[in-house]
Amino acid sequence: MNATFGSYIREKREALKEKDSRYSLRQVASRVGIEPSYLSKIERGLPAPLSEEKVRALSLDLGENQDILLALSGKISSDVQNIIRTRPELFADLIRQLKEMPDHAVLRLVREVRNGNW
Amino acid sequence: MIELKDDKLVYTFPDTTTPGARLVISFVRTLRVPDDGKSYPLPPGLGKFPLEHVDDYRQRLPQSWIEHGGVMLPLYQSEALWINFTSSYIEEHAARYPFAVKVAAGKINAVNGESWSNSLSRDPQDYMVVPGQPWLDGYSVDKECIRQFVAMPLGKGYSAEGQITGREDAGGLQIAVYPMKKEAFEKRWPRRKTAAVVSECVAVKFSMMDDGMGLAGGGRIHQEIYEDCFKLSEWDPTASSRCFVHLANSQTWRDITGNTPPTKAPSAREYSSHGLPWFEYYSDQKPLPGSHVLHKLKSVIQPGKEKRENPLPENDSVEPGHIIAINRPQSPERVREWPEQNRYERTSGPDGPGDD
Repeated sequence: MNATFGSYIREKREALKEKDSRYSLRQVASRVGIEPSYLSKIERGLPAPLSEEKVRALSLDLGENQDILLALSGKISSDVQNIIRTRPELFADLIRQLKEMPDHAVLRLVREVRNGNW
Repeated sequence: MIELKDDKLVYTFPDTTTPGARLVISFVRTLRVPDDGKSYPLPPGLGKFPLEHVDDYRQRLPQSWIEHGGVMLPLYQSEALWINFTSSYIEEHAARYPFAVKVAAGKINAVNGESWSNSLSRDPQDYMVVPGQPWLDGYSVDKECIRQFVAMPLGKGYSAEGQITGREDAGGLQIAVYPMKKEAFEKRWPRRKTAAVVSECVAVKFSMMDDGMGLAGGGRIHQEIYEDCFKLSEWDPTASSRCFVHLANSQTWRDITGNTPPTKAPSAREYSSHGLPWFEYYSDQKPLPGSHVLHKLKSVIQPGKEKRENPLPENDSVEPGHIIAINRPQSPERVREWPEQNRYERTSGPDGPGDD
């Protein structure tokens, strides 16, 4: 787990803890199903891998976007991976083309119904 | 531009219309009204047909479908459908944006019975105007009457295409939409307050079975197609979008898509026996006279008898006892808010199967 992921979840957890004591390190770790010491290592940016399942559980517990947390943890969600694997060349090319596109344009990408020859 | 969203075709014209202008079309499951010479009220909506891009199943579809492009939906033989139209409400102008819509089945125009053309015609009028025309249930055969769209296999001569042209090459449905010119809309309905910012749309185009089905004319339904009260010059002929809607047999839908098709609709008798409602729609708009070409269409029953076939099982006459009136008091020129939603989806408002 990288320092960015660790510091991100620590920041989010501590912000929640200020309003709600159920977001202590121990309690979050317990709900997610990992040892408190392990969560501490993660938050300190030490090598401590988390499975996709646990990253998702952590994001749900903290109310964070799953894809963002997965990306920060160095993963891509398995459903997205499966989609890319169906047509790897096409999707890789698409993603490269979109790399420079502004956010609002990417968010509004649509698939058109094709009008053919008739 | 046409998008497929939630089993609806969404037509937008970002460069040429007022921001937010959008026409939504869906295809609705319904009862087949008895083909018995009587004219019936509007049957209910029983949910949208699923729609899929033909491009997603290229390996399992006829080459002609891939050439046409477009979408497909599943229908059982002798099943009926109606088409729902909803145009978006433009808040800043306090009006729904008008669109001219052409619908053909087997490339035979369902309004005037002529062969498909890629333009709008007034003589006779070959299109409908939305808002104003909330639904289309079939071929316009008389001033206040349509013959219901009923799916039949191609190659047997049941469809309007087959009867009129002698061939059944196209099948399916063809739909073209023309927006009102932005200047014409904004002149008729001037802006009332600052327009909201609309995000840009960036369109990205990426791109074993029989030939599908066509649409025959089934039982008669009391429905009017309304005359266009706008000037022809107010429509934008350069901005049309068209789509081919293929009709796949529900029996093969799972083989094509892997998805389960909708179940068969109840018969009219079964539906009415439970006291469930039919509908009547009242409007002060002037109706078109009906197509003299389509007036001569034989309904499904007639060619069936000639072929010694029984194409319409469960065709018993019924007496619809429960009819709900949907009133639409204003003409399209004076459109403001739609009436309240009807829970059987036969709405004249924005929350039906073709909603915003």
